[in-house]
Amino acid sequence: MSARRAVTMAVAGTMAILAAIASAAPAGPVPAGKLSIAYVLTNLSWANYQTADGKAECPQGFNEGNREQFKALHPNGGTLRTTQLQYEIDSWYPTLADDGFAFHEAQGTTALGLNLDGKVGPHDFTSPEGEPGVDNQLYRALGCIKNYRAPDGAIRFFDDEMIGRDDYNRLLFEVTGADSLTESPQVLVTVYRGLDPLLYDATGKKVVPGGSERIDTRWGARYIRTLHGSIHDGVLVTEPVDLAYPWAPFYLPTDEFMRAARLRLKLTPTTAEGLIAGYSDVETWYQQMMRSWSTHHQNYGQTAAPSLYRALRRLADGYPDPATGSNTAISSALQAQFTQVVIVPDSRPDPAALAAQRPMAPYRGPPYPRTPSIEKAAAEPSASSRPAGNQPAGNQ
Amino acid sequence: MRAQRLAWATLAALAPVAGALAAHATPSRPQPTESYIPEPLPPHFRVVATELDGPVFADARGRTLYTWPFKIMRVGNTGDPKGQSNCTSTKTTANTGYMSPYPGGLTLPDLEDRPSCTQAWPPALAAPGARPTGKWTLVTRTDGSRQWAYDGFALYTCALDQQPGDVLCGRRYDHRDGDTAAERHPIGPDADVPPGFRVATTNLGRVLQTERGFSVYAYDGDEVGPSQAWMPMAAPATVRPHGDWSVIERSPGNRQWVFRGQPLYRHPLDDSPGSQQGSDERGWHNVYVRRAPALPADFTTQATTIGLVLADVRGMTIYTFSCGDDAPDQLGCDHPSETQAYRLAMCGGGDAERCLRSFPYVLAEPGARSGSRAWSAIDIDPMTGRRASAGQPGVLHVWAFRERPVYTYAGDHEPGDVYADGHGEFRAEREGYTAWWLRDDYFGRDQ
Repeated sequence: MSARRAVTMAVAGTMAILAAIASAAPAGPVPAGKLSIAYVLTNLSWANYQTADGKAECPQGFNEGNREQFKALHPNGGTLRTTQLQYEIDSWYPTLADDGFAFHEAQGTTALGLNLDGKVGPHDFTSPEGEPGVDNQLYRALGCIKNYRAPDGAIRFFDDEMIGRDDYNRLLFEVTGADSLTESPQVLVTVYRGLDPLLYDATGKKVVPGGSERIDTRWGARYIRTLHGSIHDGVLVTEPVDLAYPWAPFYLPTDEFMRAARLRLKLTPTTAEGLIAGYSDVETWYQQMMRSWSTHHQNYGQTAAPSLYRALRRLADGYPDPATGSNTAISSALQAQFTQVVIVPDSRPDPAALAAQRPMAPYRGPPYPRTPSIEKAAAEPSASSRPAGNQPAGNQ
Repeated sequence: MRAQRLAWATLAALAPVAGALAAHATPSRPQPTESYIPEPLPPHFRVVATELDGPVFADARGRTLYTWPFKIMRVGNTGDPKGQSNCTSTKTTANTGYMSPYPGGLTLPDLEDRPSCTQAWPPALAAPGARPTGKWTLVTRTDGSRQWAYDGFALYTCALDQQPGDVLCGRRYDHRDGDTAAERHPIGPDADVPPGFRVATTNLGRVLQTERGFSVYAYDGDEVGPSQAWMPMAAPATVRPHGDWSVIERSPGNRQWVFRGQPLYRHPLDDSPGSQQGSDERGWHNVYVRRAPALPADFTTQATTIGLVLADVRGMTIYTFSCGDDAPDQLGCDHPSETQAYRLAMCGGGDAERCLRSFPYVLAEPGARSGSRAWSAIDIDPMTGRRASAGQPGVLHVWAFRERPVYTYAGDHEPGDVYADGHGEFRAEREGYTAWWLRDDYFGRDQ
């Protein structure tokens, strides 16, 4: 094969890939810039604003966990069937019925996150930088649970730790069509899962730029997603798109699903850092938590799963179920750090295979009890019956 | 070449049945005998070949022998230390609280049917005058009787095993640990493999690996081209052909291991133990000393985000329910003859009707046969989960693996969903549902 023919075929192949990607992407302009750069995820955690002692956002203290609830429910023991197994049932199949336990939501007006709906509502937050209208009701649910607080919340720690440790979580994104990393009116951002371990420095703790990643075009093909965006003042912002991403903290293939997800990341030639925000699908979020974190692990930092589920449903503020009217997704934000990598050129996806992939879908929950008829029958507690500080945030 | 390999890998991902599994799904052919290193046995003990766990030691009646190794739990410990049996004839009535965060002292379910430890796990008692032989020794039980031990660990049979070759009460996993119950394991002779190799038990069969657990491959073509970055398994100059094993000299002084006539290689992209990435390349395959029995025709395979899972005819993921209780004797709770309280809790909040909707049994056609003992079609009483009696109305004829029914999950909505993998206490390591993995490139759940 001549060099010219090889180049011609390579260009044609690239164009075919871009065409396939574009066909899977939301409609939008095709960027004309020549710069491309890729980054790999190194750190990820739910964006929880917190003060040093927690008194500002958790004036009633932190939540009690499953061990405390179990002791309150069964002070004198009993049969394993009606105590331990029942608590597992309540955790795996939670209902909306009031359990009598107080749940402390995060208070205050400051939170990390983005304005997802373009509005400024009464339950919205203001970011620490002063941006109003921040939608992050997931923070209200998680902010006063020790497991999710920095620096030593167990779930927060291990969620983040496993991003680097397990290749299953190897999330990449590539910016193409950029004019520069500081100003580009139109860019294309493609999300992939990588196949290779992170490249660490000699300490084994710091990820260094310049590593290489092959794209997982086989088991990870369904994670491939394309977003339109722009770069202004060195900050990449993308248009909303439904995004499934792998997040397996403990050796089970679990994912998250975020509706209307968008990136806002400060880019440098070696790093990308900032927020991924959108509406997290509640059922997907909860099953990821339950499958990843046993009752024992939840107990590390006072998570009571049945109470948390009720809080998620109570605070959910987007994507109402057409049948029930109940919101199925909750506004949320992730703090994310990426490091620059090089994508191995011939690991790029085959366009035909890419076009054939079914997009990922959110988990719809178990077949019971959260079917519409049963859910309607479950008595949702009225606002007046809730403990103080446990008021619903409404749909913003 | 690299691009061609990747294109092949991509195409393979789209195929409902990967090449490595095609052989698994075909009807059983006569399997080569798995070689082992013979060792002196006590009188009447013997080695029995099994479908899934390789050769195992068995007693005079052919019943598989198990150990119950000491295990440190989350809170406390149980099992047998070397030289001692903690399995007694006293029936346990309460849990211990080994598994945080739940306390001990909770009354166990279905006490009326609960056996004692020695009823479930009859000790392999020694005849008067029995004498130690090699690794086989004797421990004295608290009642003064003597019990056989192997490598110091007391030996038991399992009440569920009925005929030679049955291994219904434990798997011969090499590295299973974590937050499971303190499980019993079948024991057997060492595989007859050279130093640097081992044989691991997987859902696809007994597979040859390096001693560190990395896959070993063979090529079906005539010759491995120099452009292919495969790493020959080097053999020392001192080795001689033995059994299934021989050596070829690729160039003067450059020797390579050969198993059953096929030169052996490692693949450079296998970066973790158990990885099977090399088998994605055309003509290459993992090397099994014995393949698992063929799957019943009603089953298929399905691609997921970590590998391949067993699926029903619709492509929906197959699950097994496993369970070990939190009593001192750590008895099983997943066989139809054992308490169903744990399964009913996990599948339907204690409600059998809900369980039938949430985790439906995989139905078998009347008269269905699997061609193996590992897979069977059994009659189940759907409301109790127990084996149905002859002539009982309303029974379900269902597929079972190792006599435990298999299930699908109604929360899975499309092929490739595995939402019930890990559904249960301690990520289903204590009691719960696990997907039936055929290949897992990330977490090693296929071993």
